[in-house]
Amino acid sequence: MNNKTVGPKEGLGFGIVGLGLLLAFLPSTAQKIADLEFVGSEAFVILLGAVYVLAFLVIAGGLAVAFAKFDDEE
Amino acid sequence: MSTEAKAAPRKRSKRLPLTYVIAIVPVAAALNIVGGYINGILKLPIFLDMIGTMVTAVVLGPWWGALVGAITNIVSSFISGPIGLPFAVVNVAGALVWGYAHSAGWMSKTWSFFLVNILVAVVCSTFAVPIYVFIFGGATGHFSDVMTAAFLAMGQNLIVSVFSSNILVSLADKIISGYVGLAIIEALPANLTEDTNLPKAEGLNKIIIPVVGVVIGAAVIMIALALQ
Repeated sequence: MNNKTVGPKEGLGFGIVGLGLLLAFLPSTAQKIADLEFVGSEAFVILLGAVYVLAFLVIAGGLAVAFAKFDDEE
Repeated sequence: MSTEAKAAPRKRSKRLPLTYVIAIVPVAAALNIVGGYINGILKLPIFLDMIGTMVTAVVLGPWWGALVGAITNIVSSFISGPIGLPFAVVNVAGALVWGYAHSAGWMSKTWSFFLVNILVAVVCSTFAVPIYVFIFGGATGHFSDVMTAAFLAMGQNLIVSVFSSNILVSLADKIISGYVGLAIIEALPANLTEDTNLPKAEGLNKIIIPVVGVVIGAAVIMIALALQ
């Protein structure tokens, strides 16, 4: 039987992994969005804006790692 | 004094079996994707893609919710096209607000639970409006585009129009998502939800509170539509 447990530390880690996945998919998506008929922006501008927003959330993740107290650490 | 402090039991963070997390995260993401897909087919004036995010953020924690939000929009961008991917940051931000508000004990009372859903709506709109305006030029094919057009016709500028339509839709959506999520959490196994700090309800109130919340959310969007 698998008795392994996970807590806030692992959640934080995998949440940041999720943000990393978003970053990885953005470059190809930015071009697809720019190709849509009703979108006037260029791919670079779309990528730039999306990366800035994600950077804000990654910084929030970093601050959470820095200041969180993981009481479950043995 | 210091001896007493040392003798006091050390508060331990919630730890959950890995099996629960492996089960909940994909199911919550699937719930979001199905909700968003149904919403897209029916052209409803809401989103319905954050119910699983709310459940995960409350039961497992904010960053597990953020992971669900990221997975939801990545996978749905393969199904419904690339429009959804930039909005992943909105889903992530919503998860963080729901999760940290729950950790802070802000969701323990009926009225504060309602207010947290409104806070989530405001934060989500704050993240969504720049994406709407600067990436998509104000329109994504969602029903709220009709409302944006109406606000533009009233003489408002694009940012104000998009924010006005998005906050109305977001308010209804997050209130509905919050209370549907509450009903789902009530239905989860007790050992999984014993550490949650949500409005306590017994008997029929377990059903009445989520239903009233959903009705309020639906009323918000009906009033918004009626005012157009």
